[in-house]
Amino acid sequence: MIVTMTDVVKRYKNQTALDHLNLTVKQGEVIGLLGPNGAGKSTSIRVLTGLTNADAGKVTLFGADKLGNDAKRRIGTVPQDLALYETLSARDNIEYFGKLYGVHGSMLKSRVDETLEILGLSDVANKAPKKFSGGMKRRLNIGCAIIHKPELLILDEPTVGIDPQSRNHILDFVTNINKQGTTVLYTSHYMEEVERVCSRVCIMDEGRVIADGGVAELTRSVIFEETVTLEVKEPAPSLPESIKKVQGVLHCDVQNRIVTVTSTAASGNIARILEIAAPYVILGVSAKKATLEDAFLALTGKKLRDGEGDSL
Amino acid sequence: MRGMRDFLTVFKNSFKYCWSDRMGIVMLLAFPILIIFVLGNALSGYISPEYDFEEGEKIGIAVISETNSEHNALGTFLKEINIINVIYTDNLTALELLEDGEVNIIVGTDLSVTRPPVGNLSTQIAMSVVDSYSQISAAMETAIKNGENPAELMPLIESNISVVESPLGNRVPGAIDYYAVTMLVMILMFAGTNGLNVFEKGLFSQTGARTLTTPVSKPALIGGLLAAATVTAYIQGMITFLFSWAVYGVYWGERIHLVLLTLFGVTLFSQVFAIFMILLLKSPNAAMGGMQCIIWVMTFVAGGYVKIDFGEMNNVFQYSPNSLAHTVIFGSIFGGNETKMMSDLALLFVYSAVLFILAFLLGKRRISK
Ligand SMILES: Nc1ncnc2c1ncn2[C@@H]1O[C@H](COP(=O)(O)OP(=O)(O)OP(=O)(O)O)[C@@H](O)[C@H]1O
Ligand SMILES: [Mg+2]
Repeated sequence: MIVTMTDVVKRYKNQTALDHLNLTVKQGEVIGLLGPNGAGKSTSIRVLTGLTNADAGKVTLFGADKLGNDAKRRIGTVPQDLALYETLSARDNIEYFGKLYGVHGSMLKSRVDETLEILGLSDVANKAPKKFSGGMKRRLNIGCAIIHKPELLILDEPTVGIDPQSRNHILDFVTNINKQGTTVLYTSHYMEEVERVCSRVCIMDEGRVIADGGVAELTRSVIFEETVTLEVKEPAPSLPESIKKVQGVLHCDVQNRIVTVTSTAASGNIARILEIAAPYVILGVSAKKATLEDAFLALTGKKLRDGEGDSL
Repeated sequence: MRGMRDFLTVFKNSFKYCWSDRMGIVMLLAFPILIIFVLGNALSGYISPEYDFEEGEKIGIAVISETNSEHNALGTFLKEINIINVIYTDNLTALELLEDGEVNIIVGTDLSVTRPPVGNLSTQIAMSVVDSYSQISAAMETAIKNGENPAELMPLIESNISVVESPLGNRVPGAIDYYAVTMLVMILMFAGTNGLNVFEKGLFSQTGARTLTTPVSKPALIGGLLAAATVTAYIQGMITFLFSWAVYGVYWGERIHLVLLTLFGVTLFSQVFAIFMILLLKSPNAAMGGMQCIIWVMTFVAGGYVKIDFGEMNNVFQYSPNSLAHTVIFGSIFGGNETKMMSDLALLFVYSAVLFILAFLLGKRRISK
């Protein structure tokens, strides 16, 4: 276990940011920390990286319960907000943090080149991030945290507000660096990102972890219902009664030409429902399978994000 | 070893960062040069017309003497200096003369000096001269006590007189000679607020937070930032200094090294002050506000801008960093009491050391918590 946080409490004046948080990170995994605004994702990272002290609870990193310089050297942190010297070149930025992490000399030079290459910034190495696009800044923000090849990479919403291309680049990067053995703690608002890169998800709300597991597993354990909607040309009054007899069906409503069928999750009865409805001429079908988003909504009663577009 | 390496890394990076914002640098350099010019030339006639030297004008010193006689040692000394006009009188008349601006200072029988609340070049020169005299007479007394020949001190007396006269021999000193010193000191004090930006970036911003997640040694981090801010401010001060000398022809005296050391003392103090404030208040904005207030007050009470008599408080205010710097710099230009100059200069560095230790203790407890 690389990280364990046990019953960690962090209070700000009139706000409990972490409320008995329990979180573990296992060697070699990409763990996603998913939660709405103010859930306490960044606060848990600040506690982990020693930027703030917990009021109660226990944190261990690499088996030690004190965050010494040795542990710091094994971690790379990409903060939620850009943390760069805007008027120094990309190279200078990466080099500076490399030196602070103890990388020097010819090793430093080759690592900087490598990092710039990985993040697709070689062409702009000598330009200042002040002039970069949002996506380039984000990538440089990551570069400053991986120059020392950390064993644990912590990314706090690394893809906020950037173009799909940079976003893909970053997600591929996460997958690749994990393949090379780096453990990743990935914080996000974006469901698809988590589904794409994470092997495990922790859903956080109001300072605690409220669900923890694989994506499919989580969805199944939380979502109990699925819905199929049919548009039927001439629904007979007896149709709902027939459908209700199908295995797994909980409700069936007909309004005008729209038939809504609710079943228990994963009951696999769509074919049978269609078969029954077929004689009445089906004009359209839509099935809604449970997603992490639904799981999230069911667990927290909240939408994951406040109104942003969701597509990759 | 690692600490030293971190220190150099932080220093180099912050220094580079300080100079990477071209526009900011231009502003920092242009502002002081402009303010000295405006106060020294364009506005000098409006702000303090009575303190500008004019051709043939002399510096007035009222010497309190019960017998109204010239026959005292101070009088003999002052007579040697031809830009000084000595008036022997009693206490009450002297105060009236001072009020009317007829004399620049009053010297009591015990050599105590009464100066007007508003400083200016003539006051500084007059005070320097009396300072020199007290120093010489003390030296004489010791020499006599030890059975030495007081005549051997003649070279010392002569050199003191020539220090006072030489700058004035070349040209008529004006308001700019006064303002160049007081403004440069003020500018270097305010450079501390630029230093705040360096400390904010290095310790409190998102970038600072990221730095604190690295295994950097904290003393090296604080030291490196302080060094970068200090060197940057000093370079800016030196450019202003050279400009005032080469372009405005400000006279900085013969002991340039002492002037430069004092300016360095002021620079260091203001940067340490900045790091102290930001660590104490934990908020760059609060530190900025606090610093600006305090520096304005320190500049204000160091005299020279407005006619306000602080009375007894003047005794306290002479220990403000600005006043200490003025004493040493004017003393080194026009000849002052060496002992007082050296102790004032030392005090300036002691202030920095004490503040730095406090800042460091605060930093240990407060950074990033
Ligand atoms: N320095 C602070 N002072 C006071 N309250 C804070 C501070 N930092 C965080 N909080 C509060 O703690 C709670 C958790 O904040 P945190 O930043 O950890 O959330 P988050 O999950 O990272 O949210 P987001 O997705 O918006 O980044 C919030 O209610 C926030 O207002
Ligand atoms: Mg956050």
